[in-house]
Amino acid sequence: MILPEFYDFCSRAKIISGENALEKIPGLLAGLHAGRPLIITDPGVQNAGLVDAVKQAMAGELESAPVYSDVPVDSDYHVVDKIAGVYRENQCDAIIAVGGGSVIDTAKGVNIVVSLGGKTLLDFQGAGAVRKKLNPLVILPTTAGTGSEMTLVAVIADPERREKMFFVSYFLLPDLAVLDARLTRTLPDFITAATAMDALSHACEAWYCLEKNPLSDALAFQAIDLICQNLLYVIQNPEDMQARLALANASTLAGAAFSNSMVGMVHNLGHVTGAVCHVPHGNCMAALLPYGLEYNLHRRGEIISQLLLPLAGPETYAATPRHQRAEKAIALIRQLNQDLHDATGGRHPRFLSEIRDRDGRRLVEKNMLPEIAEKALSDGARVPNPEELLADDAHMVLEHAWEGTPLDRTKIKTG
Amino acid sequence: MNRFTPFSNAPANLGQYPEIRPKTSCFRKAYIAVMLLVVGRGLEAAARVDPTVRRIFQQLPDGFCLCLGVGPAGPWMVAKKDKKGRLRYLGWQPRAARAHLRLTIKNLASAMRLFTFQESTALAFNYDRFIVEGSLPQALAFMRALDRVEVYLLPKIIARLAVKRYPDNSELPGWKKHLNRIRIYLRAFFPDLIRVIYKNI
Ligand SMILES: [Fe+2]
Repeated sequence: MILPEFYDFCSRAKIISGENALEKIPGLLAGLHAGRPLIITDPGVQNAGLVDAVKQAMAGELESAPVYSDVPVDSDYHVVDKIAGVYRENQCDAIIAVGGGSVIDTAKGVNIVVSLGGKTLLDFQGAGAVRKKLNPLVILPTTAGTGSEMTLVAVIADPERREKMFFVSYFLLPDLAVLDARLTRTLPDFITAATAMDALSHACEAWYCLEKNPLSDALAFQAIDLICQNLLYVIQNPEDMQARLALANASTLAGAAFSNSMVGMVHNLGHVTGAVCHVPHGNCMAALLPYGLEYNLHRRGEIISQLLLPLAGPETYAATPRHQRAEKAIALIRQLNQDLHDATGGRHPRFLSEIRDRDGRRLVEKNMLPEIAEKALSDGARVPNPEELLADDAHMVLEHAWEGTPLDRTKIKTG
Repeated sequence: MNRFTPFSNAPANLGQYPEIRPKTSCFRKAYIAVMLLVVGRGLEAAARVDPTVRRIFQQLPDGFCLCLGVGPAGPWMVAKKDKKGRLRYLGWQPRAARAHLRLTIKNLASAMRLFTFQESTALAFNYDRFIVEGSLPQALAFMRALDRVEVYLLPKIIARLAVKRYPDNSELPGWKKHLNRIRIYLRAFFPDLIRVIYKNI
């Protein structure tokens, strides 16, 4: 372990995890002096019957809560302002967000508006605009991947300016995050795979990037361990609640880790690929993660080789000679992608070229790669990456990730 | 005396509690001021000489003004794109122009770590030593330009510590590096510098 010269760490959401976690929400809300929550969710979650499950679990102690279920995939500040209106109309005093990244970010935005007053989220732009304790916020993640329940960021689009607005404040952390396997049980296998790979990339990047620190390392280690032990099993046994809960925990652990030690080039390229080609975030992460490790190998060899322990378990780790551990860790992640590809009947893409939409159209075309590489220079996730990643380097990595061939190590510029 | 108003006689003791002022060392301040001047002039020169730096500043809007310095009391470095689209070093008065992008190093100690190259720019950014006011993509672009200028201004043995990756021959051939370095130093220090100093005084 390298003790960094400086680091900061803060993670202060209460987490409850377990079989009957949902039933505990009303009591914990009462402890926060709230009794009339607004449930925010999206149509997919609503149709899967999850909101009903949540309501049923709380029915004994909480009168029926109003529900807003129309959060779109690309949520913007108009949606936030609208939901803030619903919140006030119903005289709510807390928010329960049920969903994935988009719903959680929207709920955080709504909480800013309803807690600080004002009509629109636009009034609270800029660093340090949120400096006060907000109203109680409960997050029920349904994807086991984004880890947004542990991050202090909310990203909300501004469609008029075609920009993403970033809101960063420790007060955006929820008061309560609830992990209950009932919430992720209905997730289709290929989405389970993609979101878990997102969580794995959070943990791996928290582990090898420049801001790694002892606390985030501890969390990342456990997250990787849980994912590797449970992911394939869950794909093959989707009804196993214990394993589902393990994945949900891994996602939260990884969220707390990367929220404090940041992410690197995998997310740098992933964010931009997502924005340019409208690709699901988890798919980008799965395809790019092995390349992030490979590209940084010459700088972080020792650190990456330690990843083999949670990835493969102590027996394999001990049996692998020291100088082969890093390569083996990278090979294992590639193998995991391959296994997920096989287990989902080919619905989990291994490379960027395999990512397709519902109609089978390829989403990332090879001629888009130069644009992605150029735009990647404007993404903040490039800063914590150990090795410099300029446009040429990014293009080289993307080409390999597109075709699915391992990086040509001689082409990596080491300076 | 009313014992429930403990602050009523406070002023009498005030002399015992002198105001605490942050320690400022004139030497450090002067050192950083000189470094910022060199960086500022170096940026202006590199924006003409080096194609990578030129491209970075071409992508910024005209009239763009950037400010790099140490909080709370300076020193500063202000540069601006003029009407012809060329980058100009304006000097060390932070009020010389309204900055669109302001990078403030939080204190003198952090600035010393950065400018004595104990810490690379990227690491300082990661360690939260900067306050960024303005857009993040522009701040990232400026940092890339800064890295490139450091490669030119500093000898390899020091520049290696200041940037994430010191460009090897394939990225920037040695002869080109030395040639550009001479051109940048000549431009940075000879004809124009006296004009800038005169204007700021
Ligand atoms: Fe992610």
